[in-house]
Amino acid sequence: MIPVLILSATILAAAAGAVWLARPVHAALLLALTLALNAVLYLVLGAHFVGLVQFMVYVGAVAVLIVFSLMITRTTDEVAEVAGRRGRFLLGLICALPVMAVLSAMRMGAGPVSIGPSPSGPSLKETGQTLFTSHAPAVLAVAVLLTAVMIGAALLAREDKPEPGKPE
Amino acid sequence: MKGMALIEGPWWSLELLPRLPQRMVEGILSLLGLPDGLVHFTGLLVAAGTVTGVFLGLFALLSLIERKVLARIQNRIGPNRAGWFGILQPVADGIKMLTKEDIVPAKAEWFLHLLAPVMIVLPSILALSVIPIGREWTPVSLELGLLLFFAVGALTELSVFIAGWASGSKFPMLGALRAIAQMVSYELPLILSALGVVMVTGSLSLPDIVRHQGDWHLGFIPAWNLFTPWGLVGGIVFFIAAIAEANRCPFDLPEGESEIVAGHMTEYSGFKYALFFIGEYLGLFAISSLGVTLFLGGWQAPLPWLGFIPSWCWFFGKLALVIFLFLWIRGTYPRVRIDQLMRFAWFCLIPIALLTLPAAALWHYTGRGWLGWLVSLPLFFVPWLILTMVFNKRLAGTRRTYRFAES
Repeated sequence: MIPVLILSATILAAAAGAVWLARPVHAALLLALTLALNAVLYLVLGAHFVGLVQFMVYVGAVAVLIVFSLMITRTTDEVAEVAGRRGRFLLGLICALPVMAVLSAMRMGAGPVSIGPSPSGPSLKETGQTLFTSHAPAVLAVAVLLTAVMIGAALLAREDKPEPGKPE
Repeated sequence: MKGMALIEGPWWSLELLPRLPQRMVEGILSLLGLPDGLVHFTGLLVAAGTVTGVFLGLFALLSLIERKVLARIQNRIGPNRAGWFGILQPVADGIKMLTKEDIVPAKAEWFLHLLAPVMIVLPSILALSVIPIGREWTPVSLELGLLLFFAVGALTELSVFIAGWASGSKFPMLGALRAIAQMVSYELPLILSALGVVMVTGSLSLPDIVRHQGDWHLGFIPAWNLFTPWGLVGGIVFFIAAIAEANRCPFDLPEGESEIVAGHMTEYSGFKYALFFIGEYLGLFAISSLGVTLFLGGWQAPLPWLGFIPSWCWFFGKLALVIFLFLWIRGTYPRVRIDQLMRFAWFCLIPIALLTLPAAALWHYTGRGWLGWLVSLPLFFVPWLILTMVFNKRLAGTRRTYRFAES
């Protein structure tokens, strides 16, 4: 119980930092920290598979993608300008409130749950079987989506052929 | 005396030697009557210390052996002044690194600049903790060990980015850019080639994967994954991708001295630089250990009648062999260009790594015998032929142009 509470507080602090810090690289690194701590939270709660996959996908892929795009672009000035704009706090609140309302409504509907590591989580085999039988359509939909993204990325990244007669 | 149940086997057993420190501490603490939880926790700390200590010792040894082997390949003598055969060279290097001035550039962010070298050592040690070193010794035996190995690898990429960005300089940034692009690209063939092993074993637990390779064909050929059609191809792909993941020559572009000084490590000096060095070598140990575990049978003996030698000796022997291959390749091949590196990953390694998956399935459904070899041969040979033909056609007759260097 106590580790979970400490972790949750740290996650919230890191997330707040990710939103508030003006420099994009700091925000991105704190976002990575938030995602990594989330993975640790899953591990502490006994959901080992979800925790490791969260780490692999969100820290290994999403955060790296974000910092990589920060490296090859130069966004510092624009972002600082946006961050200095007045009324952004209000705007953020307006955007965040509906999400929070939906999440709270879901939480209210779920009934009371006890916080703490579950005695025995589902084994890897059970997780896999559930994923590829009852949730197979969702998995397939994600696969199709990712394939489309891959093809799109390959098309975008394709080198333009030099026009005939023109020097490169 | 309830804690004494933690100890099994005689203390002089060679098989249990790597666990001796942990068992000694646990035994002493339980004799003192401490609670079981505390005893277990302290034992785990000692085990972690043992793994770290052993591999740091191996790192010191390797830093000397590497220089000796490279010198031999290049017809030199190599370090021979510090101690007999230069055996004290690692100590001298360590003292030099510790006493050097620690420089933080004026434009660097000091906290992130400090964080990066600390962070880069972590994933390798974490990854080494799930490797089954001996029959009786896996530091942390997890059901999802392989997943953990690849998950913590993400930290390396982030710390390389932090190092490159926090230095506040051009060369580290370019080096980090290269390093991350390379790591992301070569992680794919690495994971894909490991997937075949997971499919056939039906487990992500590394001790299970090793136990699964414990059989013998015809009574003397070990049933290692390397000696299967998909395992042979997957093992080669894994090895090549591992060279790139460990930033070793010929894929050491992120730190190519002649191009971008030392990449993301350019602005580091003293012990922070040494930490990068240690992190790199521990990463090399980690990825080689995983290769040994997945394809070379881990701690299994290579011949049935050699089982009397402690299993961890076999593990370290195979590890030494793989690391020697790394050194040999470093001494032999020149560095590739960045576009060659990327093209090689995406057009060659990834398709072949993908092919190991159907090959593993075919091998499984044809009874895991010679029929699988027969079916797998065309499966690998035809795409390889097509890839070669396409590459030869594309490369033939094109003049190499330097787009950004000229004009």
